[in-house]
Amino acid sequence: MTAIALSGFFGTIQQGRVTHIRFWTYIGFFAGAAALAFFGDSGYDEDGFLIRFLSMQGVIWGGAGALLGLGLSFATGKSGQRSPSFIENSVPWLDGLLLMMLLMAAFTLLEPHEALISYEDQSNLISGRIVMAMNLLFLFSAVCYIMYLFAPESFIGKMATMAAWGGVYAGGTSLFLRWYESYLFLNGDIGHAPVSNLYEVFILLFCVTSSIYLTFERRYQAKAMGAFVMVLVSAGVFFGIWLDSIGQADIKPLVPALQSYWMKIHVPLNFVGYGSFAVACAAGMAWLFRERLERRGSASMLKIFPSLDQLDQLAYKAIAVGFPAFTLATILGAAWAAEAWGGYWSWDPKETWALIVWLFYGAYLHVRISHGWSGKTLAVWAVAGFLVTLFCFVGVNMYLSGLHSYGRLA
Amino acid sequence: MPQLYKSIKPFLLRFASMPLAIVLLMVLAIASMIGTVLLQNQEQADYLTQFGPVWYWVFRGLGLFDMYHAWWFIGLLGFLMTSLAFCLWHNVPRMLKEMRSRKVKLTDHAWKRMQHTHKLTLPDRDMEAVAGKVEKITGWQWLTYQEKGFTYLRGDRGRYHKWGYILVHSALLIVLIGGWMSVQFGFRGNMAVPEGGMESRISYVKGTGSESLDMPFKVRCNSFEINFFPTGAPKEFRSNLTIIDQGKEVLTSDIIVNEPLYYRGVRIYQASFGDGGSKIGLKLFRLDGSKRVDVVKSEVYKTYTDAESGISMEITDFKPFNVENMAAPGEPKKFQDIGPAVDFVLRGPGLKPVKVRSFMNPFIVNGQNQGSLMMISLTGDNRDFQSFFLGPDLTKPKEWELFHAFSKKSSGIADGGGIEVFKAAVSEVYGDKMPDDFRDVGIRTLQGMQMLPSLPWPFIPLLDDYDQVYYTGLQLARDPGMNVVWSGSALLVMGLCIMLYISHRKVWLVIEARERGMRIRVAGLANRNLMAFDSEFNDLLRDLEDNLGLSQQGASV
Repeated sequence: MTAIALSGFFGTIQQGRVTHIRFWTYIGFFAGAAALAFFGDSGYDEDGFLIRFLSMQGVIWGGAGALLGLGLSFATGKSGQRSPSFIENSVPWLDGLLLMMLLMAAFTLLEPHEALISYEDQSNLISGRIVMAMNLLFLFSAVCYIMYLFAPESFIGKMATMAAWGGVYAGGTSLFLRWYESYLFLNGDIGHAPVSNLYEVFILLFCVTSSIYLTFERRYQAKAMGAFVMVLVSAGVFFGIWLDSIGQADIKPLVPALQSYWMKIHVPLNFVGYGSFAVACAAGMAWLFRERLERRGSASMLKIFPSLDQLDQLAYKAIAVGFPAFTLATILGAAWAAEAWGGYWSWDPKETWALIVWLFYGAYLHVRISHGWSGKTLAVWAVAGFLVTLFCFVGVNMYLSGLHSYGRLA
Repeated sequence: MPQLYKSIKPFLLRFASMPLAIVLLMVLAIASMIGTVLLQNQEQADYLTQFGPVWYWVFRGLGLFDMYHAWWFIGLLGFLMTSLAFCLWHNVPRMLKEMRSRKVKLTDHAWKRMQHTHKLTLPDRDMEAVAGKVEKITGWQWLTYQEKGFTYLRGDRGRYHKWGYILVHSALLIVLIGGWMSVQFGFRGNMAVPEGGMESRISYVKGTGSESLDMPFKVRCNSFEINFFPTGAPKEFRSNLTIIDQGKEVLTSDIIVNEPLYYRGVRIYQASFGDGGSKIGLKLFRLDGSKRVDVVKSEVYKTYTDAESGISMEITDFKPFNVENMAAPGEPKKFQDIGPAVDFVLRGPGLKPVKVRSFMNPFIVNGQNQGSLMMISLTGDNRDFQSFFLGPDLTKPKEWELFHAFSKKSSGIADGGGIEVFKAAVSEVYGDKMPDDFRDVGIRTLQGMQMLPSLPWPFIPLLDDYDQVYYTGLQLARDPGMNVVWSGSALLVMGLCIMLYISHRKVWLVIEARERGMRIRVAGLANRNLMAFDSEFNDLLRDLEDNLGLSQQGASV
């Protein structure tokens, strides 16, 4: 399981010169966006920011930044030289975001007529249909990945991967689209980023989990693990459908405490953590599954499974991605709390559970790094860790009260 | 002193040992769970009813009602700090030494531990030149050493990765120290300032009681306003505050949630709001047949006692907007503001105390006036309010008169008199000018005939006018430990990234002369991220072959 070099078309555009140019163009675009926030006509107007990128003003500022970045890339890069791995690793993610934005922009053209949309009846919005497509794609992908375990045909494996990627793009696009749609009624008064309720962050969680897993799959050829990740995602999909059925999928106005730029930073970053912990959990489950297979000696399935050692490392890798992200998200959450609630730490149930999750994975890293533990205990630990995470994410919202109560089911 | 040191050293070493840290982390995690399940800092009386006297005193003794400040929890955190400190004290010198020492020579014994090994042969015998060429490979820190005809080269990447451990552990210590400073030297409390009022004292919960603290300045609330979304949900709470320091107005500013005010080390947050003693005018519609309507003036939080009947009304709250979902269940939601309402508890001789919500406006839905509205909660709980449609729209004096005229004319008639009697009553009250909504007036009056006599009170109290005053609920906090916490946090994230993403990768080259040419042995070792190191090692081999001109000859073995 060496980290494989990409070949073919995707290989070419994700390495070397082209990557270098793209990277700096993106950086330029973000700089332009930041400049718009600081020096633009009406500055940073909270949640209307995405909308402004679709306006002429956004095109001018972002475009100017991107052009500057493009110029910079020609000035700094020498052709033929390999880019640092940081750039090569981050560009595909930025590409994906750009593609989602473009898809979003395309779908805005398909939005139904104004008269068919109202705050009271949001069922005609097109993002709902894209979420449905995402649900189907993820479920189909899960079925394919499970089939792949029993019939390791490369065709089935490819379908599973494609469906999962399709789900990620459908989910991401629908979220961006929801952001846009939240401005379509009540004079755009309630528009906000789509990370404000359980339904929206569930979609985010599916996308983050799947894309982290798919990156692992591509790099380490761990396709057999997909069945476990996608089963987790599918369980979430059913929860999401249930949320929709009880009317939790509606776009609702933000309570004053959430009206802050921090929301757009704190929440997505937290879900990078949760998503990676989900992948670690799947790796742990795959470890336990493989161990059982080994004891039974079913050779055919063992052939396609990553080895125990590799699964162990994948779980660690996922936690190594999630833990710093989760730490940073919690710290930034504390910074937000210091601005909104009068103190960076209030021992609110959500905060306390975040601490518990942090301590749990902190202990995992301790025993692994300093004690060199591995194997079954850590596989179980990764699975248990995700259960704790799940309680922190959903359980606290549903069963405990506190300052984070806007995550509750209304 | 050395004697003492010697005797406590085993304990200190135990402090620094890993299993203790893991146990400590897990114990802290489990202990923290308690406080999320058991609601913290509630009223003591609520706890008493919830748990009964025995468990109440057990829990109270353990400090579970404010457990994050209980001695044992603080003790656990202190224990964690001590453990961290000794962990650093024990490991940092060793780590620094390890980072400095770079053994270039590779023994045969060490060779066996290597994750990667590779052998190359070269035709020429110029060791110096080869070593020079190897050192040109970028991305590695090279060291050279020669002994007994062998040339050793060592390359390092991520040599300072142990700083990750040091940073993470000291960062946690710094964060905990910052937290301790916040608790020790900071404060956080609440004040309620009515519009136009001034306040300088904050109160906060400590243990099982409440304490207060005087600020060195006064806060005046000039105004408080709430903006609403079209859905009726609050959009923004905004207070206009003036800080008065030593009798002088020094600062006037608006605050909203998420945008606090900062003055002399104290942050002032918009935390809550409520009624600050609004002036309330009530109309008492006497039900003794005298048609009398008394106008009463009072305030929120005051009690008005009606001298005539001995009935008292303790006014508890006032709201200028009451947005309700008017749609039938299953239909799309339809929000409508049904206007101002006042809440009061009505008590009187021989009456069961009830909570009343009395509205100023008649209830109008889909353009149809359904008369004056009142809500009554028999339990006193706001969730138990039930609507009572009184019948007449009492904001219209004529309907009050019509009710009396009709009840006077129909009294004594067995079936109430029917439409003829009603028409007579209408023409008595309205004369020739019939009301436009004659039908609705009729329905309302008939409803009133049923409803009003069944009321147990001698009058109907309806909200007449108001002059609203809010109080703004402010939270004032001073936190001298906050910046310490932020710097600790920054170090923590930095340290974690170093610790988890930078691995120490070491490669060795052992060059030895052979009869013809020379042999180069290459070995590599990484402390983690072995998958990435595989390709890194292969990259190095490729670079070696390129630099030494081997790739054309295909001379690698």
